[in-house]
Amino acid sequence: MNDLRIIDMEKRYKSAQPREENSFMLRPVRLAIREGEFFSLLGPSGCGKTTLLKLVAGLLEADGGEVWVGDENLTNVPPESRRFAMVFQQSLLFPHKTIEDNVAFGLKMQKVGKQQRLKAAHGMLEHVGLSGFGSRFPDDLSGGQQQRVALARALVANPRVLLMDEPFSALDPGLRVEMRELLSRIQKEFRVTVLFVTHDRDEAFALSDRIGVMGEGKLQQVGSARELYERPETTTVASFLGLRNILGGVIENGHFASTDQLIQAAVNRPLANGDYFMIIRPEALKTVESDQLGQVRIKGIVQELKYGRGMYSLKVKAGHQLMECMLTISQAEKIAVGEPIDLFVDMKEVWFLKK
Amino acid sequence: MWRKSKPYLLLLPATAAIILLFFGGIFDGLLKSFGYFPAIGQTELNLAAYDRLLSSEAFWESLTLTLRVAALSSLLSAIIGALVAIALFFLNDAMKTTSPKAWHRLFQLPLTIPHLVAGYIIVLLFMQSGFVSRILAAIGWIDDIADFPVLVNDPFGWGIIFTYAWKEAPFVALMLYPVLSRIHGSWREVSRVFGAGNWQFIREVVMPVMMPAWTVATFIVFVFTFSAFEVPYLLGVTYPSVLPVYSYQLYTSGTLADRPEALAVNMILAAITILLGLVAYYFSKRWNVLKGWG
Ligand SMILES: Nc1ncnc2c1ncn2[C@@H]1O[C@H](COP(=O)(O)OP(=O)(O)OP(=O)(O)O)[C@@H](O)[C@H]1O
Ligand SMILES: [Mg+2]
Repeated sequence: MNDLRIIDMEKRYKSAQPREENSFMLRPVRLAIREGEFFSLLGPSGCGKTTLLKLVAGLLEADGGEVWVGDENLTNVPPESRRFAMVFQQSLLFPHKTIEDNVAFGLKMQKVGKQQRLKAAHGMLEHVGLSGFGSRFPDDLSGGQQQRVALARALVANPRVLLMDEPFSALDPGLRVEMRELLSRIQKEFRVTVLFVTHDRDEAFALSDRIGVMGEGKLQQVGSARELYERPETTTVASFLGLRNILGGVIENGHFASTDQLIQAAVNRPLANGDYFMIIRPEALKTVESDQLGQVRIKGIVQELKYGRGMYSLKVKAGHQLMECMLTISQAEKIAVGEPIDLFVDMKEVWFLKK
Repeated sequence: MWRKSKPYLLLLPATAAIILLFFGGIFDGLLKSFGYFPAIGQTELNLAAYDRLLSSEAFWESLTLTLRVAALSSLLSAIIGALVAIALFFLNDAMKTTSPKAWHRLFQLPLTIPHLVAGYIIVLLFMQSGFVSRILAAIGWIDDIADFPVLVNDPFGWGIIFTYAWKEAPFVALMLYPVLSRIHGSWREVSRVFGAGNWQFIREVVMPVMMPAWTVATFIVFVFTFSAFEVPYLLGVTYPSVLPVYSYQLYTSGTLADRPEALAVNMILAAITILLGLVAYYFSKRWNVLKGWG
């Protein structure tokens, strides 16, 4: 099996001014990515995603740790011999080469004959929907087309690992979705191992088999999209995934009481006594009482009601806490800003995090 | 109307002077090369000077020498200049600090030295009784300074070629460097990931990107060395001499009859230069070498 394994890779940037303490440091990362898996690194800007990607590619020298593919240790292998491929945020095509020469670049470096590599390039251009563009120059293409060429260039040499650094973030939203679908299809077709970097939650969720959430120079949690969203391990992960209804409190004998006394409810899971965060997904907050058991009421004042993509997002001030939830259009019709409102939490859907 | 044309009008005196001196000079030379010389009663135009020139052996030898010296010096400075520019480029890439500035200064140094002085430096260094030959003799590489090859005032023109190579290589390098610095730092990373080592990166990316500016720089050096006077005058031999020196020799030979020939040499020089310019322009258009660099 040609799994990609990253073993305790770390990196500290030396700051320009010596003795300056706030230079960036990537804490040791340990990660195993299965062959053919689509793995995303998700995290806010500046958390070290690009740094980690370049360490894996060998473009940056690590301060420690190893990279393996299968049973081959690549730590001291220069990037040009790793047989990896990379797609960057900009397409970075060579402007003096035609599209087909750009795509065939990797094969040329591997000393593949001209006929053969151009044939492969044309085949790959067809896969990304650009057949017939071979003899043009990069400047004659739109941004989206250029990024497709970059993808073709990366895949044509049959790389062991495809590294992608926010490849679609410079494209407009419609094109981004289209490119996601293209990438997803091609990745399944070629069964290539992908390490994909993004700060876009939707993108990571739509594409990935597994996701690693990064924050503050650290790999925080690894899991499937659903695992991460429903069972985040830290509040950093939770809030980066858009789970902002976080209430601090105490669990005592199977009973949770939030610090601001907003919620008191029985916990339907066996949890030890102690300090906890209760995380309520926006979808788990309802404005109408259902006949289900185990619902808890929160009283608040409507602070904001905003329309977005077929749903309303509602912000309710409850005590000092701002609660967010999603409403359908018919539910939202009865609500006005500034009026009191009751929110109902299904205790089966909340998630507790030990402090 | 006035406001639009005012800057041009203000420029007029300077432009007029330049045009008058430049084109006037050429026109005057042209007339005289056709034998027009009212001071001695010659007002008829003829091609006698050209006729005599083209059938003289000295002219053809001079032309061969000039072409050879210009070609070798521009080739040499093009190669050295490119190597220097690439070296500076990688140096900058590797260090990313302020220290490459010092290197830039060092390579700019020859640019600040006048050609005449550069010529003298080469003379002092490479004469048979010069600096290098004395050092080599002192450390025993050669038995006698007379064993040192004749590199200055030699019939082949090595002294001239060395001077130009040393003097123009930094010019080529400085023409290339801004082009090279436009090479995306990330292109290096891209090409490395796709399997290109340093040398392949140079061949696949650096060279093609550099090519247009390089050709232009080399051409400028060629035209300059082709028509320059002072260095070959200082470092060449009396016979054969390069065209500009040959023209000077004819002009100052003492016989007024030689003067149309001297000016004819100049006219031929000018014609060849213009021709080369047109050729270079044609190729730069045809190659479309600037594709993608808008
Ligand atoms: N060459 C460098 N020298 C010093 N610090 C650097 C260098 N490159 C990056 N950094 C710092 O390291 C941190 C992480 O950078 P990195 O590019 O890995 O972030 P990122 O997660 O990719 O962010 P983004 O989403 O904005 O691309 C940043 O704070 C950045 O300022
Ligand atoms: Mg980045």
